[in-house]
Amino acid sequence: MIDPLLYFLLFFKATLFSSGGFSNLPSLHQDLLARRWATDTDFSESVAIGQISPGPNGLWVISLGYLTYGYLGALLALVAITLPPLIVLLVSALYRQIERQRWVPGFMRGISLAVVGISLTVCWTILHQPGIDWLGWLIAIAAFAVALSKRVNFLLLLSIAGLMGYLLYR
Amino acid sequence: MQQTVSSRPTPGARKLFQIWSSIGLQSFGGGASTTFLIQRTFIDRYGWMTMEDFNQYWNLCLFAPGINLIALTVLIGRRLGGVTGIIASLVGLLLPSATITCLMAAGFVQIQHLPVVHAILRGVIPATAGIMGVVAFNFARPVIQRAYKEGKAQTFLSLALILLSALALIYFNLPVVVVLPCTALLGMLLFTPWRSRPTPSTPPSAREQEEIAHD
Repeated sequence: MIDPLLYFLLFFKATLFSSGGFSNLPSLHQDLLARRWATDTDFSESVAIGQISPGPNGLWVISLGYLTYGYLGALLALVAITLPPLIVLLVSALYRQIERQRWVPGFMRGISLAVVGISLTVCWTILHQPGIDWLGWLIAIAAFAVALSKRVNFLLLLSIAGLMGYLLYR
Repeated sequence: MQQTVSSRPTPGARKLFQIWSSIGLQSFGGGASTTFLIQRTFIDRYGWMTMEDFNQYWNLCLFAPGINLIALTVLIGRRLGGVTGIIASLVGLLLPSATITCLMAAGFVQIQHLPVVHAILRGVIPATAGIMGVVAFNFARPVIQRAYKEGKAQTFLSLALILLSALALIYFNLPVVVVLPCTALLGMLLFTPWRSRPTPSTPPSAREQEEIAHD
């Protein structure tokens, strides 16, 4: 019933016209629901799985692929999200053409500063999710200090945080 | 700094695959964890790049479609191993973690309603906010240090632009695609030395070179 080529192209199109891990969601939502190839539940479940599974958040698309079209769907989704970022090679070549222009360093500096602002916004957004109380803030501050000190293994840090969650909120 | 970076032996494809799959498999909690691990591995542990290189790569990735971290993997992979490096890094980052994501999708329906899972996540999610804080700190350090060397006005302007972009996103809910180019344009207007002539042997550039040699 699902046409694999069209299925792949829909995922590919959604990623090609997106920026960042979740901005391909609206396009996929519209296209897959219109063809009855996915349900709303598929979407909410795959975003949730993307949050707890390893790797970048954008891998939620892999679970969407699996839930709607099995292992083939997951594979097609993986290829569809891997190809568009390769355009960065073109961006990097263009940058080399213009990097000696006088205005470019200031422009890049502005971007670097915006990146700091965006990263701080991500912290803020995570801490304002439902279910995060003052204990959550304490965990965040402790994790910040521990990660900054570079002394503790990363998986150990996350495991301790998970254990804290289990002890505090079960 | 430049010399130490180039004299470090670059990794082969197999080593790159190992490094990236370990990053992919450890980065529970999403992009914050992945970015943190990439910074820790390539800058702190192996010294194959500096935070300045990382900042520049990241800025370029923002202009590529799709997941920025995949674009970053492509650029770092190319730097350390050419085309083979790109393939080894991408396969390393994506294949193991995508396989696990897939398997979790298969098992998730059974465990998603368990209170234990929610309790654990309520501990892990704020921890990723703290990790994102370190990522922000790492991003900020080279830009702020540079501004600090240039004087008080530049430091103030830099901090103001950071604050401005964060406020625009948090309080005015402006999309990133608006905030990013606006901050870039402000940076261009404020930091470009419009009046001085672009001669290559002016004292500041000589001093900059010396700083690079001393770093």
